[in-house]
Amino acid sequence: MHADDVAAVAKARDGDQDAFRGLVERHSRSIYRLAYRMTGRPEDAEDVVQDTFVRAYRQLGRFEARSNFATWLYRIGFNCAIDYMRARPKRESAETHDTLDQMTREHVNPSMDDLVYAGEIGERVQTALGGLSAQERAAFLMRHYHGCSIEEICQSLGLKTNAAKHSIFRAVKKMRVALKPLMGDKACT
Amino acid sequence: MHVSEDDLILHFYGEAPADEQRIDEHLRSCPACQTAWMELTDTLKLVDAATPPEPGPGFERVMWARVQRELPSAPARQWSFRAMAPMTALAASLVAAVALGYAWIAHSQVAPAVVAPLHDAPTAIRTASTSVNPSKARERVLLTALGDHFAQTEVLLVELMNAPESGAGAEFEFERASADDLVASGRLYRETARQSGDLQLAQMLDDLESVLVEVARSPNKMTRKDFNSLRTRIDSNGLLFKVRAVTNQIHDRQQDLMTVSEGPL
Repeated sequence: MHADDVAAVAKARDGDQDAFRGLVERHSRSIYRLAYRMTGRPEDAEDVVQDTFVRAYRQLGRFEARSNFATWLYRIGFNCAIDYMRARPKRESAETHDTLDQMTREHVNPSMDDLVYAGEIGERVQTALGGLSAQERAAFLMRHYHGCSIEEICQSLGLKTNAAKHSIFRAVKKMRVALKPLMGDKACT
Repeated sequence: MHVSEDDLILHFYGEAPADEQRIDEHLRSCPACQTAWMELTDTLKLVDAATPPEPGPGFERVMWARVQRELPSAPARQWSFRAMAPMTALAASLVAAVALGYAWIAHSQVAPAVVAPLHDAPTAIRTASTSVNPSKARERVLLTALGDHFAQTEVLLVELMNAPESGAGAEFEFERASADDLVASGRLYRETARQSGDLQLAQMLDDLESVLVEVARSPNKMTRKDFNSLRTRIDSNGLLFKVRAVTNQIHDRQQDLMTVSEGPL
């Protein structure tokens, strides 16, 4: 755990908001990235970052000093994002699915270089992520981007081992289908 | 025999150490599985290539300003239902006592204007500033107790909403007991809210009660259908959102009340 985090958490627990400010400033960008991948929209990601830190502050008493603050914060961030997405109107999810279906149907196949430089891969991956359920997305992102073990995912999301594994399996399979148009000649069969 | 796609995914993430050698050997000798493996790794590499956009400069400062507005004066001592189960009955009794005292104050109209609807907080606070200090002190106590009630309700709802679908069939003994306690204290608050004319709060407590009763009276092992039905009710009524909104309002009132009491009298 970051030495500054240890001291800041101890002070923040006693109500020192300046200490908590240090934690917000140190970790808000990484939580934003997580939140953006979960929600797919900058304004939603900002709301999730805010929710995450407010919830973290309220739960500081539950934080165990031997744990890593960033990891603990990630867990809260994922759960805030899940709550946020569940509260989001269902029509938006439907729109996301429509877009994903449309994207998968279109067999646009520009060169990889073009895609990378245009940032299209990022957009397409983000759209593909939008086609996953909140639970699948959280489990996949925790495993893929944050290197969390299945056990850690179970603890964070309150899942049993098989449920966590199947969330990842479904997520990867959906990602393969959604990104198939980008795979060119290597498209899976 | 080919390696399944699920096993390949576990292999990619290093989650199948016992089978690692077997899978590696198979991949070297099986072109079909090798192709499937390449497709999987190519897809996941593509995912790696995607980086989310960075927020603009000054993001940290803006975010702190947003967060700070929502912070309580001090972080709450956190608990979980499982850890706090033995304390629940005592807490419920204290909450009930405070609520009854509050109801008595409101009913006897010693300081009627102090008890104002949450949505009319500024009026309540303006009036509170002209009230006698004991009434303000009672209101602070009530707000603290009410805040705890909603905080406990929020944790319970979050636990239910975040429980896996496979959680159906799991035991909910602690959640049931906690819901039972929250029903008891919630009824007192609802009655108090009605007597003091805060019909919005009363209605919300009523909505919450129907869900809490359902949890409290559920069998120790819920069926998947019942479990999903419960979550749908929580979700479709926006209960979690409402609970959080009221918690924020309570916090704001506490802050405002503190400001009033610290200001010139």
